Amino acid sequence: MNAAASPDDTLIRIRGLTTVLNGKKVFDALDLDIPRGKITAIMGPSGTGKTTLLKHITGQMHGDAGQIAVDGKNVPELSREALYGLREKIGYLFQNSALLTDFDVFENVAFPLRQHTRLPEVLIRNIVLTKLQAVGLRGAARLMPSELSGGMARRVALARAIVFDPMLILYDEPFVGLDPIALNQVLKLIRTLNETLGITSVLVAHELSAIQRVADRICLIANGKIVAEGDPHGIENDGSPWTRQFFGGEADGPVPFQYPAGDYAEALGFPRAKA
Amino acid sequence: MNARVDDNVVSRSLAQIGECGLFLLKVLAAIPRSGRYARETVRQLWFVGAMSLTIIMTCGLFVGMVLGLQLYHVLSIFGGTAATGTVVALSIYRELGPVVTALLFAGRAGTAVTAEIGLMRATDQIAAMELMAVDPLAYVAAPRFLAGLIAMPLLCCVFCALGIFGGHLVGVSWLGIDNGTFWSNMTDTVEVWQDIVNGVIWKSLAFGAVVALIAVFQGYTAPPTSEGVAYATTRTVVASSIAILALDFVLTAFLM
Ligand SMILES: Nc1ncnc2c1ncn2[C@@H]1O[C@H](COP(=O)(O)OP(=O)(O)O)[C@@H](O)[C@H]1O
Ligand SMILES: [Mg+2]
Repeated sequence: MNAAASPDDTLIRIRGLTTVLNGKKVFDALDLDIPRGKITAIMGPSGTGKTTLLKHITGQMHGDAGQIAVDGKNVPELSREALYGLREKIGYLFQNSALLTDFDVFENVAFPLRQHTRLPEVLIRNIVLTKLQAVGLRGAARLMPSELSGGMARRVALARAIVFDPMLILYDEPFVGLDPIALNQVLKLIRTLNETLGITSVLVAHELSAIQRVADRICLIANGKIVAEGDPHGIENDGSPWTRQFFGGEADGPVPFQYPAGDYAEALGFPRAKA
Repeated sequence: MNARVDDNVVSRSLAQIGECGLFLLKVLAAIPRSGRYARETVRQLWFVGAMSLTIIMTCGLFVGMVLGLQLYHVLSIFGGTAATGTVVALSIYRELGPVVTALLFAGRAGTAVTAEIGLMRATDQIAAMELMAVDPLAYVAAPRFLAGLIAMPLLCCVFCALGIFGGHLVGVSWLGIDNGTFWSNMTDTVEVWQDIVNGVIWKSLAFGAVVALIAVFQGYTAPPTSEGVAYATTRTVVASSIAILALDFVLTAFLM
């Protein structure tokens, strides 16, 4: 298996990933390398499968063909124990936070620690409060998830994702619903985690200006493939029609705005124009 | 999947029963792993058991009272009102206790479990657990299944006690059957093995397993939408009720 022989500077190596969902080819022989210790941003029109890609990396979903090696291990072939072992080293930030509604903020952040360690209560308390302080929510420790705004919930979820100091963090749209101050804080946090702990980050987001401030590299995904990749500041003007359309926000171009559909006139019931 | 098979109610139900059976195996396999979540099982026991006490006690009392009333009038035709206590006890131990408790349990606790798990899936909490390397089968499914299994026999005993108290209330305190006759006739006829162990314990254990399995399964497989969770909750009540009554017939035929 050549995926296992990945050189040390590539943490995630995807080769020939092909996935069909509901008859739609979400990934079409997609190749992608995520370098270790870097912040890689994945951008693309909504519905192109960015969330699905993260689900493949964490083994929540498997493709129809191809290999996904994370830290040298091919994810689709892992046993349950090995997969769970890998997941303990991955932090995942959900698009919708996914906090456990039974527990308050403190217990949500403490949850992974309580499940996987036998740390004394004092230590758990210190770790949790440190992480909450980092996202600016130490004062909200005793609120329930239903009492948080969307942006606050996302920051709690971020604190939970980093509570174990993972080797890899996957962020699914972390900037949605954050006010400029919280956005700045989260950006700074992503940077700090990356610089001080060397954590590899994969960032799915739409906010180019925010991404340009943290990411080392941008990959643009469309039509089931990586259509462009490069430096966050140069990629806008790299001359490719994909990047010109995506970053220019134009409706016409190689990126389809419409979900695949039949003939429009026919769907509206108009008689077909005579050729 | 074959669209024609999907459209057929019978084969769709059979497919669900099959899936439910496979799910049972997965939950059973997860029970040893759920040992570390014993606290969660206790918490669920509180939710499905202790929180159902009020409805179980109230209904047990009224079922016993109405039985006492009806049987007194029927038995008085044959001059046999002294047997009221016996017949109340036998019908409660053998049938009404386990069956009514299970039906109430499905409505009170089963629906809550289904809705809770369904919403946990719809809001990605189940996926979040998997990503935190916590097995949701061991942390969510198994504790709720075990809690149902443990709670049902206990609730059934409470129901039976209140039912007999209700029968006594109407028969002795209201209609004037002699207190000694009421109890001695009952204790002479009711057999521990036949009526209490086979009736109360086995039946309620079986019903508890069935209701808890259906509730957890429906929640776990509910489509992650509000409509999906709503339908799953309804299906829990419908499927549990049918399963309880069908299983009751089978168990009665074999055990008694
Ligand atoms: N569980 C699923 N079943 C079928 N299709 C799905 C499923 N999840 C996602 N899809 C489809 O895959 C595509 C990518 O979805 P997603 O990864 O959520 O996009 P995004 O890039 O916006 O995160 C969409 O077209 C969606 O319809
Ligand atoms: Mg998405």
